[in-house]
Amino acid sequence: MAFNGLKKAVTLTPCVRTLPSGVPAAPLLNLAARAPADHGHGASGPRVDVTPRWAGGVSRSSSGLASKSYVTLPSTTPSTARFLHTSVAVKDAPQVPDFSHYRANDNDTNRAFSYFMVGSLGLISASVAKSTVAEFLKTMSASADVLALAKVEIELATIPEGKNVIVKWRGKPVFIRHRTQAEIDEARETNWQSLRDPESDEQRVKKPEWLIMLGVCTHLGCVPIGESGDYGGWFCPCHGSHYDISGRARKGPAPLNLEIPAYEFNDAEGKVVIG
Amino acid sequence: MPFSTTLYNTFFRRNSIFVPTLFVGAFAFGIGFDSGVTAFFDRWNKGKQWKDIRHKYVEAAEEE
Repeated sequence: MAFNGLKKAVTLTPCVRTLPSGVPAAPLLNLAARAPADHGHGASGPRVDVTPRWAGGVSRSSSGLASKSYVTLPSTTPSTARFLHTSVAVKDAPQVPDFSHYRANDNDTNRAFSYFMVGSLGLISASVAKSTVAEFLKTMSASADVLALAKVEIELATIPEGKNVIVKWRGKPVFIRHRTQAEIDEARETNWQSLRDPESDEQRVKKPEWLIMLGVCTHLGCVPIGESGDYGGWFCPCHGSHYDISGRARKGPAPLNLEIPAYEFNDAEGKVVIG
Repeated sequence: MPFSTTLYNTFFRRNSIFVPTLFVGAFAFGIGFDSGVTAFFDRWNKGKQWKDIRHKYVEAAEEE
């Protein structure tokens, strides 16, 4: 029972390679060796496959015949260095190509050119960055049609002196008052420093005869009534705020003067453009 | 002194001059590029834009 393990069959891999022609490759076997010419039917000559003497062979010694194979063969070339030769000189790094053709002729020109190229790239990059930011910010601004709708033009010649006109601008009423000279004098002679929201009449109008302001009460947003109130200006019916002829809060709960919108006079066409 | 050395000593030698030069150059380049492209666009579309044909219609409107 104990020997069963030892009796296992072992399949050895073939130790010879097969040539494409089907012949087993045996590198150490001289298949070109021929038998002696007469093969025992005459005088036997020297074999043709005799190993040369430098590879080893049988020799006779005192203890009998000895067969010896030389592994390290003696050099067949002269071992001394040749001092006289015609080959090219050995370089320090013989595999490195010659780069002298590619080297810059002038270091100063090369340096200036390199910095110029770096600077050009930086310049274009800065330009691209600036353009990107600028174009992005432009998308946030109002387009031309929105801007055109946001303005109102009024012919000033149609408003007689001493009259109010109410126009709608961005959903809010705008009062335009063509003031008489007496009203202008009244607005300017008021002691405005003592008012609740001190503003002089010069700060509130661009031309003294035209008072343009938003018709929204600064208290809670009602629309005041024109040519009424204790001060000859506007009166808010909701909570009783009084505004004078310059639109300044004089009495009642209103904390601020009536707001002045941005406007421009177009003298050539006799118009005012609000917005 | 050759031109390249002058260029290097003037603009490239100090970063404090190099970088502002780049920014100013980018500004000028932007203006030049815009005007160049606009000029090319106007020349390419010559006779098709409103500003090229405006005189035909505006004068007629004033005569009416």
